[in-house]
Amino acid sequence: MTQVILATVLGLLFALGTYLILRRDVVRVVWGVSIIGQAANVYLVTMGGLTGQSPILGHGGEHPVACSVPDAGANCVTDPLVQALVLTAIVIGFGTTAFALVLTYRLYQEHNTLDLTEVTVE
Amino acid sequence: MSADLAVSTTHVVVAPMLAALVTAVLTLGTRRYDRLQRVLSLLGIGAYGVGVIVLTTRVLSGGTLTYQLSAWPAPFGITLVADALAVFMLALAALTTVAILIFSVAYVDEEGQRVSYHPLFHFMLLGVSGSFLTGDIFNLFVWFEVMLMPSYVFVVFYSGPRQTAAALQYTVLNLVGSALMLVAIGGIYATTGTLNMADITRRLADPAAFGIDPAPVLGLSAILLLVFALKAGIVPFQFWVPPAYRAAPAPISAFLAGVTKKVGVYAIVRLYFTVFAAGVVDGGLGLPGLSGESFLAFFGPVLFLMALASMLVGGVGAVSRDNLDDVFAYSSIGQVGFIVLPLAVVATIGDHSFGAAATDLQVLGVIAALVYSLNHAVAKSLLFMVSGTVFDAADTIELDRLGGLTTRYPVLSGSFFVGSLALVGIPPLSGFFGKLLVFDTGGQALAAGAPGAGLALAGALVGAIFTIAYLSRAWTKGFWGDVTPAVERGEQSTVLVGVVAALALVVVAIGVGFDPVYSFAEAAAEAALDSEGYVDAVDPEVVAHE
Repeated sequence: MTQVILATVLGLLFALGTYLILRRDVVRVVWGVSIIGQAANVYLVTMGGLTGQSPILGHGGEHPVACSVPDAGANCVTDPLVQALVLTAIVIGFGTTAFALVLTYRLYQEHNTLDLTEVTVE
Repeated sequence: MSADLAVSTTHVVVAPMLAALVTAVLTLGTRRYDRLQRVLSLLGIGAYGVGVIVLTTRVLSGGTLTYQLSAWPAPFGITLVADALAVFMLALAALTTVAILIFSVAYVDEEGQRVSYHPLFHFMLLGVSGSFLTGDIFNLFVWFEVMLMPSYVFVVFYSGPRQTAAALQYTVLNLVGSALMLVAIGGIYATTGTLNMADITRRLADPAAFGIDPAPVLGLSAILLLVFALKAGIVPFQFWVPPAYRAAPAPISAFLAGVTKKVGVYAIVRLYFTVFAAGVVDGGLGLPGLSGESFLAFFGPVLFLMALASMLVGGVGAVSRDNLDDVFAYSSIGQVGFIVLPLAVVATIGDHSFGAAATDLQVLGVIAALVYSLNHAVAKSLLFMVSGTVFDAADTIELDRLGGLTTRYPVLSGSFFVGSLALVGIPPLSGFFGKLLVFDTGGQALAAGAPGAGLALAGALVGAIFTIAYLSRAWTKGFWGDVTPAVERGEQSTVLVGVVAALALVVVAIGVGFDPVYSFAEAAAEAALDSEGYVDAVDPEVVAHE
């Protein structure tokens, strides 16, 4: 059941992010990028599997075989590596979002508008 | 960790990255002392060059070197792999960036250099080197981000209306690209159970033994291709290229076109020819119009269409632009087409099964792509720096306002001429061999009866004619003719012209002394196609199943 809910949430997040990126307002575009980035992070967490024991000794981690391994058995553990990956991705996403917001402000200062149809690249 | 897990690690592998990282931090700390900062920055790029030379000599004489971070054995830790392909790309980066940094010191105003230029430059170089050396697919994502973050700042460096607009487009596109890359990497991890590139190769080659299904990896690697194509500026992901290159300072346009673009090319060669080439979908791909079971049988036609479209879009775009930077930016799109085309041709001609020796034609195709990359890196950075020098002297790079540069600045114009001829492919310059190898790959594929080889040759011919057209147009409009007032007023900078002329000599030298360059590229191509050798060098532990 968790899988179905997470899959739906992921789909909605990606759809929402894509919708916002296609807006005219620059702030919404940055929001959209940020949401897509977070959706990718949530997706990454689910890639470790959702059904296993927590990989901690004394809490079910005594049988250290990840559930993704074939024939892992019933008391396998959730893969903890993806959490390390996601931490890295979150930190990078934090930096890039901060930069994108500053860039939005500078764009407003230079163009006096946040409407993308009025901002020309040329 | 138990003692039987012997880990072989060679510290020289991290030398270039260490040089770039230390310099970036030092130049950040010496912002108040701008002379010291500039000296440190130049010393740092020198150390980077020495590091690359030492690493290259070690790899070419002793074979692939690996560096296991914190002595964790592969595939559990992050592995850095310096094989002939990686050091070829590093050598290309070092050669170009040394010239670019010397140019920058004379070109970028003092205020700009003091604020952020030098740390960003070295962080970008760090990201580029890390991408070339890493043997871990998630680590590749991290190095891409390290490389991209400074490039966002560089695109908005002058911070005017045009720069902010171009940077927003560039940043948003690449952030979406990064999210997609994360999705693809996460999926590959979930499917194959590993992030180590050598381990992925090994598992894809023998999916039954590891209990994995290779079919989803094909789709996931297709998402990855999209990200690399975005980085390399291949059609249909090329539209950010002209605004970004025009907005960035001239030496940075040279860096982005010469080196950063090649990271995308490198990633395509490394992942699709070394790693994913081992993948086979039993019973065929099941896609309309595609036969064959290998992953390459899918990526070949896809790359083929992208390469042809790039050559046309780049050529048509460059012919119609009235600004030197725009001409060179569109030209970059077209030239990347020339780099990808031989890769596409050899990917199409047949399955390259794991463990089997690569055929001569496959090696030739990858050599063609590498030699063309080297030529484009040197010649295109040369041209962007010519454009910067012209702007420095005449305050404009609009072709309408330029004229008579040959009379006023003969050395600068001569360097532009050499750079253009190299892109066109006139002997004895570096570009001649690039073009020759591309056409040779197409010709041999045609002789071998490969589908589409004739089309590849025709496309390359049209692309080459476009190259001649837009470069001679820039030459006649901007460099020949009467001296315009803008050109008359200006004064050229000796350092800038010196760097540009030195690069022009490098273009000639690569062409005249092509033999060692060819052997180097051949070693790199063989390393790229030797999936088994790559796996052996990294030597991932066998993970036993219970």
